[in-house]
Amino acid sequence: MISKLLATIRKEIWLLLRDRVGLSILFLMPMILIFVMTMIQDAAFKTLNEKGIPVVFVNQDRDSLGSMIEYGLRNNDLCTFYDSIDGQPATLESAREAIADGKFLIGIVVPAGATAAIRENVTALIAETIDNSGDTTHTDPSKVAVIDSVEISILIDPVTKKSFITSITSNLREFISEVKTKIMFETFSKEIAEIIPDNNGKGPSNAFQRTQIIRYNEEYASRTSDTVVPNAVQHNVPAWTIFAMFFIAIPLCGSIMKEKSEGSAFRLHTMPTSYLLLTQGKLIVYVMVCLIQFMLMLSVGLYFLPMLGLPKLVLGHSMAGIAVLTIATSLAATGYGVLVGTLASTEQQGAIMGSLSILLLSALGGIWVPTYVMPEAMRQISVFSPLNWSLDGYYQLFLRQGGLSDILIYSLKLFLFFVITLGCATAINKWKRRV
Amino acid sequence: MSHSAIIEISELTKKFRNATEPSVKGISFSIERNEVFGLLGPNGAGKTTTISILCGLFPPTSGTVKIDGKYLHEDLASIRKIIGIVPQDIALYPTLTARENLDFYGHMYGLKGKELRSRIDEWLEKLGLTTAANRPVAGYSGGMKRRVNLIAGVLHRPRILFLDEPTVGVDVQSRNVIIEHLQELNKEGTTIIYTSHHMEEAENFCTHVSIIDHGRILTEGSPASLIAAHPGCNNLETVFLHLTNRKLRD
Repeated sequence: MISKLLATIRKEIWLLLRDRVGLSILFLMPMILIFVMTMIQDAAFKTLNEKGIPVVFVNQDRDSLGSMIEYGLRNNDLCTFYDSIDGQPATLESAREAIADGKFLIGIVVPAGATAAIRENVTALIAETIDNSGDTTHTDPSKVAVIDSVEISILIDPVTKKSFITSITSNLREFISEVKTKIMFETFSKEIAEIIPDNNGKGPSNAFQRTQIIRYNEEYASRTSDTVVPNAVQHNVPAWTIFAMFFIAIPLCGSIMKEKSEGSAFRLHTMPTSYLLLTQGKLIVYVMVCLIQFMLMLSVGLYFLPMLGLPKLVLGHSMAGIAVLTIATSLAATGYGVLVGTLASTEQQGAIMGSLSILLLSALGGIWVPTYVMPEAMRQISVFSPLNWSLDGYYQLFLRQGGLSDILIYSLKLFLFFVITLGCATAINKWKRRV
Repeated sequence: MSHSAIIEISELTKKFRNATEPSVKGISFSIERNEVFGLLGPNGAGKTTTISILCGLFPPTSGTVKIDGKYLHEDLASIRKIIGIVPQDIALYPTLTARENLDFYGHMYGLKGKELRSRIDEWLEKLGLTTAANRPVAGYSGGMKRRVNLIAGVLHRPRILFLDEPTVGVDVQSRNVIIEHLQELNKEGTTIIYTSHHMEEAENFCTHVSIIDHGRILTEGSPASLIAAHPGCNNLETVFLHLTNRKLRD
């Protein structure tokens, strides 16, 4: 029995080694995929941080609000500031036209009299407050009546993604709001100083303005003292490694189909050797291939990407967890390959069925976009994707610094998937041979 | 049924799923030990179906098959150890060398180590493939592939050898070598069950012939007795055409 199994393993290795194109697809393509995807995502992130978003600013206010927003934009890494278009000072119309042409991503227009309106607003509010308290000396009813809101226009290039725009505009709104508050407080202080000139001759304290009452502390939650900063490498290496490992289904399916079309399967069916033993030989070799793929792709994250200036992949603390999860993922991927190979009737059918289903399972599993941004219905479906179980497992290890116990449930699910796919393949094979 | 029969077939019927009528219709015959048994018939006569059942590829719809004293449906695993198959289509891994193919198939029949290596060398030598043994089979000529295909079926010295058109599409030289070594195997004790459309080859090679058509055995006997039994026929081909008529078959 062992001798037969070893012969099957040897035969599968020979077949793999002779197929150089297949080998390059198995090992080189996933490495290139990780490299390209990580570089693209990292570069996109850097574009925002290093080069900045091109923003055109139209300052019609020419007062504190306009000046402070301009100052803020000029000194912000997120933006590249422009206040002129083709050598001419930007206007509302020229900015709108330039953004529509795709020259800028965002335009901000502060209307004339915006600062004055804020000041009047504050003055009117103070007057109203004093009036309500019984002191009518400073009441000017006309001011209270004319209070109007200031409309700052944000022009957006329609090509830009909604999620991206939402993120940028919320930052801008926050910033503008801060500036507005500052102006209001200054006006308020000035007005109060006029009403209550005493305070040891110093006027009202501006301590409030200097004091940040609420501060924010951002921290990545971790169970251990070590914190792994999420980055393109930490997310992409496990995601694309799983994707590549599941793509083993295509060459594995091809190997099964070739045996059928080249007649070897016919001969094997007449020999004193069980289907299970022949399948075991295939599985062992392809699981080994998956493990080699995994190690190669990890080495890309550990050694190659840092050489290109990208962050180094942090593996976490549980080597046992990585080993168990990787073996479970490899088994699930090869089991799926056997199932596709059994279901398909031709090599082409197997290749199409395999690649499309893996793309689908990977999309559902959160390889392309995180599951938390998916609609509720899709999120509920995603929990049935084995790629999702594997990805969640690796995130537990690589990002949450989890241990073996944290990934056992994912490994168990993957192992069950392997058993079920293999069981289905055996049943389908039996059913197909029924004549 | 004869007591020296190595294969006994009784009322064998096979109707495939979705087929309108059975491919094999209640045939019965036996094959003696050390015979070269020719199962001859036009396309669609039921030859390959019969041989496939005998090899255990699929079960019959009804009837029984006894091989070497054991019922096929009861002892398939042990029967598989004593049979060898040389299919009509080349059943080899094209990217592997002849030696690698034979090593793998030899192991699947339970051979290993020195014994397997020496048998591979012996057969490669016999069939003139030693110098090409380490080249991938994909680069072989049709005749060379057929010879390797034959070796893969006989390496384990089967007691019964099924040959489905073993010489189809090969040159005269390769055909002679193949037939010569099959006769040698037969002399050593292997019972051969052979199908072919090559009537002259069958006449010279077979000791016993059954002509099958439309799933039924039309006649059987030694080639000489069949020729003698059909007046006006001077060889097996004319007997065959006389029994199966000249109408084209699909």
